Amino acid sequence: MIPISMTSTSNSADKDTNPVLHKVTLGERFLMVSEDEPLLVQLERAGITVEYQCREGYCSSCSIKLLKGTVVYLSEPLAWIHDGHLLACCAIVKSDIDIALY
Amino acid sequence: MSYSTFNRKHFDSTKEPMFFGENVNVARYDQQKHPIFEKLIEKQLSFFWRPEEVDLSTDRKDFQRLEAHEQHIFLSNLKYQTLLDSVQGRSPNVAFLPIVSLPELETWIETWSFSETIHSRSYTHIIRNIVNDPSKIFDDIVNNEEITKRADSVSIYYDRLIEMVNIYNTMGTGTFTIPGKGEITVSMAALKKALYLTIASVNVLEAIRFYVSFACSFGFAERTLMEGNAKIIKLIARDEALHLTGTQHMLNLMASGKDDPEMALIAAECQDEVRNIFIEAAEQEKEWAAYLFKDGSMIGLNAQILGQYVEYITNVRMQAVGLEAHFATKNNPIPWINAWLVSDNVQVAPQEAEISSYLVGQTDNSLDDSDFDDFDL
Repeated sequence: MIPISMTSTSNSADKDTNPVLHKVTLGERFLMVSEDEPLLVQLERAGITVEYQCREGYCSSCSIKLLKGTVVYLSEPLAWIHDGHLLACCAIVKSDIDIALY
Repeated sequence: MSYSTFNRKHFDSTKEPMFFGENVNVARYDQQKHPIFEKLIEKQLSFFWRPEEVDLSTDRKDFQRLEAHEQHIFLSNLKYQTLLDSVQGRSPNVAFLPIVSLPELETWIETWSFSETIHSRSYTHIIRNIVNDPSKIFDDIVNNEEITKRADSVSIYYDRLIEMVNIYNTMGTGTFTIPGKGEITVSMAALKKALYLTIASVNVLEAIRFYVSFACSFGFAERTLMEGNAKIIKLIARDEALHLTGTQHMLNLMASGKDDPEMALIAAECQDEVRNIFIEAAEQEKEWAAYLFKDGSMIGLNAQILGQYVEYITNVRMQAVGLEAHFATKNNPIPWINAWLVSDNVQVAPQEAEISSYLVGQTDNSLDDSDFDDFDL
């Protein structure tokens, strides 16, 4: 496994408490993500290109495969989400997950 | 079987299928079978814009400085966009309203079609601004062979459905001899199949065909040319992204059997035909790209790159409706387009720094002590 290096610009994690991190596995690579932001921005910061358009959950362009694990949405997206998929622009990762890009 | 503008029967509309159930009577939204369509309506209304809000004064100068082959690309692209929205401004209403059975879906169809009429008006706004005689451009849409070929393929499924529904509404089901058309068999299965294929073809129109034209419009703007036009196209692209979600929901609901079990069988039976609608449209769009760039390319975009984008976007759209990707292209050859397509920074006038989720009256009236926590005096 090759860890994907990531420079976090997020300042929302409280210094006194440890932010909750989850491991996102993408094929042979993995990265750690927090629950503070949707998955898409964290993948992008790690240099992973994901197709996107609206970034608001209605166009379905950023739909990717969720092979294992749990994500939640703060509000239900307008786009149709197929079983076994997630919408990266608004999905909050809630456990270690395995994903696949197309 | 004829259509009634106010169905007198008593029935529970939440038990009706999306299409071919009872004609809608009361336009009520307190109980909904598929609440997603009302959410789409609300989103579409929050997107409202008018073409005149976009200033196009520098586009005229830009256009005059374009080389002849670039003017050909720009104008042909605009003609194609005008054709697509001419079709979309009326066809969902004409084709789907006589057969729709849910109030929330009926209103979504009307809202959707209405937003297309804004697009059509914006093309007139653009064309008036860049040429002295708009007729030369508009008249060519029905004369130019490359454009009319496209008109045939975007209207064929709509026209077939409308014809069958017309027969059904006057004669019911059966086999009928129609003057000039020969024998036409109308059955509920045939009607549902025609409907499913039409929605697939509309999804292709809004999810693939439009995006080829968007790529060209943004290709100019990447070179800081025709930027007013690009602002309008950004607003149109935001609307189209919502519309294609609408048809994706219809297709996926139909295929899942959750809406109408018979429709699920038809969807399964039509799968190859739908795949072909996507693939044929992609091939036609590649031909169109060759026509656009026949006299020369523009910086950053040529027939080959645009063709790869067609393949890429077709794959994305096929997967969104549960089909396997068809083309080998895995990566977006023009990743810069996403920065133009993203809706967050759509802005018409600087004083209106509008975000797409903006809704009038969305202010939250609830207040408690914690709201003053970051307040210092």
